[in-house]
Parts: sequence; structure tokens; C-alpha cells
Amino acid sequence: MLDAYQLTLHTLTLRQLASAEQLTEITGQPVADVEANLEKAVADGAVLAARGSYMIGPTGRALLDAAYPDAFADLRADAAVAEAMDSFETGVNKQVLSLTTDWQTVEVDGERVPNDHGDADHDAKILDRLGRTHEKTQKVLRPVADADPLVDRFLDRLGTALLRAEGGETDYVSGVRVDSFHTVWFQMHEHLLRLTGRERPE
Amino acid sequence: MSAAVAARTTGAYRWLVVPVDPPVEPSRDLVGGKAWSLWRMRSLGLRVPPAFVVTTEACAAYFADGGTRGAGGLPEGLADELEAGIRLLERRLDRTFGGAERPLLVSVRSGAAVSMPGMMDTILDLGCNDAVEAALAAETGDPAFAAEVHRRFTGFYGRLVLGCTEELEDLPDTAAVRAAITADGAGTVPADPWEQLRAAVAAVFASSRSRRATAYRRHYGIPDDLGTAVTVQAMVFGNVDDDSGTGVLFTRSPVDGRREPYGEYLPRGQGEDVVSGRVTPEPLQWLAERDPAVHAELLAAAERLDAEGRDAQDIEFTVQRGELFLLQSRPAKRTARAAVRIAVALVDEGTITPAEAVRRVTADQVRTLLRPGIEPAAAEAAELLARGAAASPGVGTGIAVGTPEEAQATPGSVLVRRCTSPEDVHGMIAAVAVVTEQGGATSHAAVVSRALDTPCVVGCGEGTVDRLLGRTVTVDATTGRVYAGEVPTSAVDEAEDDDLRRLGEWAEQAVARVTVASPGSDVPAPVLDADAIPPEELGERLPDIPPGTRTVSGALFTTPDGVRAAVDAGVDVIVAAHRLPVLLSVVASQGELS
Repeated sequence: MLDAYQLTLHTLTLRQLASAEQLTEITGQPVADVEANLEKAVADGAVLAARGSYMIGPTGRALLDAAYPDAFADLRADAAVAEAMDSFETGVNKQVLSLTTDWQTVEVDGERVPNDHGDADHDAKILDRLGRTHEKTQKVLRPVADADPLVDRFLDRLGTALLRAEGGETDYVSGVRVDSFHTVWFQMHEHLLRLTGRERPE
Repeated sequence: MSAAVAARTTGAYRWLVVPVDPPVEPSRDLVGGKAWSLWRMRSLGLRVPPAFVVTTEACAAYFADGGTRGAGGLPEGLADELEAGIRLLERRLDRTFGGAERPLLVSVRSGAAVSMPGMMDTILDLGCNDAVEAALAAETGDPAFAAEVHRRFTGFYGRLVLGCTEELEDLPDTAAVRAAITADGAGTVPADPWEQLRAAVAAVFASSRSRRATAYRRHYGIPDDLGTAVTVQAMVFGNVDDDSGTGVLFTRSPVDGRREPYGEYLPRGQGEDVVSGRVTPEPLQWLAERDPAVHAELLAAAERLDAEGRDAQDIEFTVQRGELFLLQSRPAKRTARAAVRIAVALVDEGTITPAEAVRRVTADQVRTLLRPGIEPAAAEAAELLARGAAASPGVGTGIAVGTPEEAQATPGSVLVRRCTSPEDVHGMIAAVAVVTEQGGATSHAAVVSRALDTPCVVGCGEGTVDRLLGRTVTVDATTGRVYAGEVPTSAVDEAEDDDLRRLGEWAEQAVARVTVASPGSDVPAPVLDADAIPPEELGERLPDIPPGTRTVSGALFTTPDGVRAAVDAGVDVIVAAHRLPVLLSVVASQGELS
């Protein structure tokens, strides 16, 4: 496990140029703690501050790279976690990327064109598959979630994004400026890679 | 209510509605949206495969406490009515459910009055077992087809009725699917078609209370007792003889929007053949020569559906023993060019109003049309530096930089990365184009770039970063190429394209308050210029618009998100080089047509 200070730094690798509130949303740490950690990190030269937004710097990265092997030694030695990650990368992660692509673009005469969201059935089908993939992910990542408390929080946030998309907020599938399904998934993927010390497979 | 009761009492059913030319419109609340559409098609004189509906009242009874239960835990009497319903379909098509000759197969699907996520989707080919597979093989002379029907049905049933969580779709045959279901501890697929049907109906009912459906209703305040109807519809086959086939028809061209039916027909083909490429499709003209009556009926049906849907339709149909059945009609997918042409044509035809037309075309689509492209001759002459997969179309020219921080510090730069992580997102927002060494058209980089409408080429291979860094490059993300230097581009002018110009006029009339001004024109103060805000201050957010701001400018305020924020903040003027995409975003942000 990372300590609270390391966790705040780690969160900045999942969302750069974030405010304390945005980091709190990711980890569930109390905002006052996050602010105190950020203040210390800025003083340490690990984090750069720019009017309410924070960025991790080289010192902060080095600190994390040194901390991960110890913090996640048990998890990294766990065969069930390794198996879950293999399944995650080759299964649900590919499915989510291909579903978000099908959400953004549709094929017309062999060419990908923007989805105008004019066919409600098409959109409903993708949301349905995304929902099934979300359920499957909960199963696939169980061994990792048992070893790391943040994983369940990501899975919950994915559920929230899905619910908003299902309610007609189309931004919540792949939008960049909101906590869309893809935004949260991208963060979770990065978190899992850092947790397990794996390389991004793409 | 009274209409629904009338429709039901004519058949004297307690739990069913049979939409066979019903004299009155069935209640959507009772039969669900899908069955209502079937009724609608029938009432237009169009032939759909015969069907019946188990009503939402049966669903309510299924969940009611203390009700007497009949077979399969279904409400008392429902099992008998299911049998009666199936007999109707058998008579209509001269086929037998579970029969050893000319077997009847059905699809079973859920349908609530309001569509809802988390409910069971369609089970196809229900009624299949070993004997039915043999009968189907004999009838079609195609054992591989019969085996495929059986395999697919077993997968549908395993996943949707038995709740098997393993992937079943890619397994090679029925035996493998059965084995996977058993290994998952999900039970077995019954051989008795009637038992299959009862269990499928019960599974549809149960799915209306699934975790996801319940979460959705709770979140959006939809009552829990809404329930679902179940539509049971006969499967028709396009591969039973030489007078059979299956096809798809677009009422207008999906490529350029021309009002000219376009489609393909697969003689002796069945639905999945289209995908598998087992049969080579013929143009619709083939059907016209082979069976002019069916062809004429199809074109007449297409006309009606186009008019009824008030939009270009994509129609799936099957011809079974010389009889045309319409399977599905939905708004057709289309290119950006076709979307514009169709919207304008529908106004000229008097089908929709100009105010509706500007809601039929998205800002994204117009941006696609206005996007500059590289002339083939210029591309020919340019030095090719890298080639990859086109992930998000467009062209961008700038200095290649290697980190998101540099991309932010260097306005108008091209971000080049091995692959992207969440840390790159703010750099991708700042960059004019993105290039990666690794990944395909469905990588994170591709998804994020498309969401940002930033040109992006992925998978250019190792060494690309080193090769490009520090150089001025032109990224042609429409063809997936990166060229040295600045390559000239050309673009459509929205004022000189007839359709775009007319859409622009209509959009201006539809937009009540906000006006769009070109850069450099006189605008009311105070002005908020997003381009003047340091990127590190902005991050991935939109800038806050101070109260009283009258004009906003900058690239951020031409995106759909930015326009919505500007409208919400009550600004009067948005500055943008391209008017139409901004106007369409304003229209979209104004909410539904009242």
C-alpha cells in the first residue's frame, strides 16, 4: 500500500493538472488531507502548482518509482493478480476501447464517420454491451480489487458514468472533459499498470 | 386502455395481444415500444413476420405476491396462451414449432413502453433442438446453416436465460457451447421447445428487475412496477429455396444522400451470411429481374417507411418462398455529406421544417465537411516521414514535440508519443495533431483524439518519435500519413456550398439569442478569449465565464462543450471562423423542440 502522501502523488499520474477536489474524486481521500499533501509536495519540489492546478514533476515521479516495488510487493507476487491482469488486457480492455470507438464512429460504406446518435437502437446496443463489459470487469478484476481498495472505487465511478450515459448524457461514454466511462477507464488502466509494474501494451 | 382491451378481447386472451391487423392501436404501455412498431408497420400495409405479445400486465402478475402460478412459474393460464399464440404463427407460415418437418423458430425479445438499459436483449432461433436442426438441414439442403442456427441459439439461451457468464459467441459448435454452459454451472438448455419458450418469457420478466435495470429506474425516478412486455415473433428464412433470399435497402444513398434506393440482395441467403461472406451479394436490380413483383413491393414499402419515418431508412428484409417480409427499419447511418443533403432534401420535400432540419445535422458532421484536406498532388510531392493508422481524421501542421508539457508550452505543436497515458491528455488538448508509435484505431490515444476532434495517426512504429522531434511536420490523419514541412491544404467553403448555406440560414433563424461573429469583427465587451488563458491554468477544464461576459472567443468556445458553456453563461456573441458548426451546437444546447 502507498501511504497517504504517496497516494496523492500517484493520483497526479492518473490526472495531470488537477485540482485538489478532482484528486479527491479519484481516491476518496479527504480534501483537506489532499491539500496538505500537495502543499508538502510543492515544498519538496515533487509537484508544481499553477493557480489551483497541480502537476507532478521529475522528483515526484522518482519518488513513486522507488515506492511502488515495496508498496505493491505482495500484489505483484500474487499469481491470481497476474492472471487477472492478463485477462483484463486481452479481454475487457480491448472490448471497452472497441465499444467506445463504435460509439464515436459508425461504418458507412467501409468508411468510419461520426456517430450522429440518430439511431437510438445502435446507441442502446452499445450501452448495453458496455454495461455487460462493466459487470464482467468486476468479476475479472476481483483478485486485484481484493488486494487494492482503489479498484472498487474505479468500478463504482464507471457505473456512475454508465448511468449518466444511459440517461441520455452522451458525453459520458467517451467525453474528455467529464468523468466519462472512457476517462475513468483510462485512469483505472494506468492505475493498474502502475500497481502491477506492467508496461502499457499498446 | 379501452383500445387495448378491445384488441385483446377480439382474440379472447388474458395475457396476449396479437397485432394481426388490429382495428385499433394497442396501448404502448401494454405491449411495449417494439410490438407497437410492428403494429404500426402492419397498419401501413407492410408485411412483417407474424408475432404476438405477452403484455406488461402478465409481467406485473409474474411479480405479484400470492398469485396462482402455472407452468414454469408463469401467471396462471399464460402457458396455455403461449401455446395458442404459437399455433397462430404455425398456421400463418405452415410450419410446426419443434417439428421434424418445416420447423417454426421464433425470436423472443423484451419491450417496455420506455426503453431501459439492463433488460434482456433478443433470443433468436428459439425452438431449436437436435431434431429441429436435422429438419432445417433437410429443408434448406444446408447442414452447416442448420448447425449454425443451433449453435447460436444455444449461446443466446445459455447467456440470456441460464445466465452463463462465459463468452459463448466464439465457440465453434453446439457441443462446445453446451459444455461451456455446464462448466459454468449454469444448467442445461432444454430440448423441449415449449419449455424453452416458457423459460425465455420468464427470463425477460426477471430481467426487468435486473440490477442494472433497477439502478437505472431508481436514478431516473421511473416506477419499479413498469415491467416489460415480451414479443414473440416467427423467424423467416431466406435460404429455403431459389425464390428466397435476404437483403438490405437504404431509401437514400448513405454516402451522398441522393434520393435513390440503394441496396444488396443475397439470393438463398440468411441474415448471418451477409457478415460471413458465404454468399456474394447481388445489386437490387438482380431481384428486379428475377422477381419484379417482390421488387416492386419492396420499393413501395421503402417509400412508405421513408415517409413514415420522416428520414432516410435502413431496411432489412427477407424473401421466404417468394413472400417479402420486412424485418427492421431504422434511421440509416450516413456520411456527413449525406446527412446534410438528406436534411435539406427533406425540407424541400415538405417532410420536415427548417427548424427540424438543423437538428438532423450535428456540429461534428459539418466540421467533418469543412475539414481541410491535402490535395493528392501536394501529397505526391511531399516527403513521407511516417505512416500509421488514421484514428481521428483531419490535417494538422506544427513542430513535433515529445511531451505533453512541451505541447502546452508550444501553441500549434504536434504531440508525438510512443503511446499515450492519462498524463498526455492535457497535451493532446493543446496539440494540433497527435502521432503515436504504438496502438491501433481503438487505442486510448484514438478514443481521446476523436473525443477532442484532434487529428491523430497511431501505430507509426518504433523510431517515429526520434525521427520527427523538432521538425515541422504535417499530419494527414485522414490517410494516416505524416509529411515533412507544411503541406498545402484546401477546404470546402460553407458560404459556397448550397446545402451548407441554406442550413446556415435556417440555423440562424432557429438560434434565438446568440450570434456568431467572424474573427476580427466588432464584438461587445467584456470579451473572454480562451486562447489568451495560459494552458497550464486551464488543464483539461473549460474556463470559467465571469458573469456579465458578452463575447467569448478562442478555439475552446467552438467545441460543443464550449458552446454549451457559453450559452449557459448567457453570452451574446461567440467568435468563430466557421459559423455553422457553432450555430448547430447552439441549436443542440437549446434542448428538445417544444
